[in-house]
Amino acid sequence: MLPTISVDDSKCENPLDCRMCLLACPTRVLGLGTNVGPQKYRETDPSHFVVRGVRHQFCTMCMKCVDICPHDAIRISLDQGVMA
Amino acid sequence: MCVWCEQYAGGYERWYLNPANYARRLYKVRREETEASGAEANPQAAGGMSAVGREFLEAKERGDHEAVARMKKEAEQRLWQIHFGQVVTREELDQILDIIYPIALMTCACRRSMRGLPDDENFTCIGMGPGMYKWERWPDTYRGGVHFLTPDEAREVVDVLNRRGLAHTVYTFGTPYLGGICNCDYPDCGGLRTAIDLDVRVVWKGHYVAQVDPDLCNGCGLCARRCQFQALTFSPSTLQAYIDPLKCYGCGLCRNPCKPDAITMVERESMPALADVW
Repeated sequence: MLPTISVDDSKCENPLDCRMCLLACPTRVLGLGTNVGPQKYRETDPSHFVVRGVRHQFCTMCMKCVDICPHDAIRISLDQGVMA
Repeated sequence: MCVWCEQYAGGYERWYLNPANYARRLYKVRREETEASGAEANPQAAGGMSAVGREFLEAKERGDHEAVARMKKEAEQRLWQIHFGQVVTREELDQILDIIYPIALMTCACRRSMRGLPDDENFTCIGMGPGMYKWERWPDTYRGGVHFLTPDEAREVVDVLNRRGLAHTVYTFGTPYLGGICNCDYPDCGGLRTAIDLDVRVVWKGHYVAQVDPDLCNGCGLCARRCQFQALTFSPSTLQAYIDPLKCYGCGLCRNPCKPDAITMVERESMPALADVW
């Protein structure tokens, strides 16, 4: 079964600078992207960067990302309803 | 036969050696939807780096081969119109560097997504063609900006990336227009992840396949760490390099550390059973 990975964007304020979860994940399950399209003539505001589970099939639920997140923003569960 | 050469070589030996495929207009009327989003090539929005979503992974996991095949086909048809790559050798890259202008060193969107790599550590991509003037003009939009290079400077950069062990790939931005030379590795290249992990062909194998000459291979094993495609391993049985020709992408990186020159690049299409393995 594929783990469900959820990130609370309101707690995860600046993943581009923090990136601790990205570096902690042994298998690059997580991806950093933006929740807006291209911003003409200006840099994308850091608040628009988001972390998402992408390559779920490689998640072993080792919880390294959950543990290292300084804002407690990541949840991983096997059952969609019950958060580990 | 490589379908891209069939359609877009225009009399040249390969489609990516045809200068017309680097001549995308600087400004264009966007087509709707998918084409537009690919042509936009927003390196940040591309951050998810996933050509298929969770529903594809779920279908794979429950063994729904029909759904997997359908989603794979849909994703590939979309990608091949917009943004896909093909592996090229260092020698072919030399030929490409002689026909493209301008040449711009830029940041890698994949490594930003995978590792959150800061811009100043992330100049491993080469953009090409008039589109790069937009990156120069609006560096804030296009994260990290660009450094323009002469062909000789580009060769030096490419040599460093090659020594690091990064495989060279040309990428379309609105097929057949080629806009980028990516220098890729597993597991941090989104394209390779999609191609190798999921068998969704966002990266095509190149026109060559590496072969080991067992009479020459001295078993040093240095080549094994060069393969980014899980095709080359060191065989404990023969104490020599082993290359799976069906997995080889033909980047040629394994040749470089080989002292006895035991690895040669063979034309894919010279082997009938490989001619359609891309």
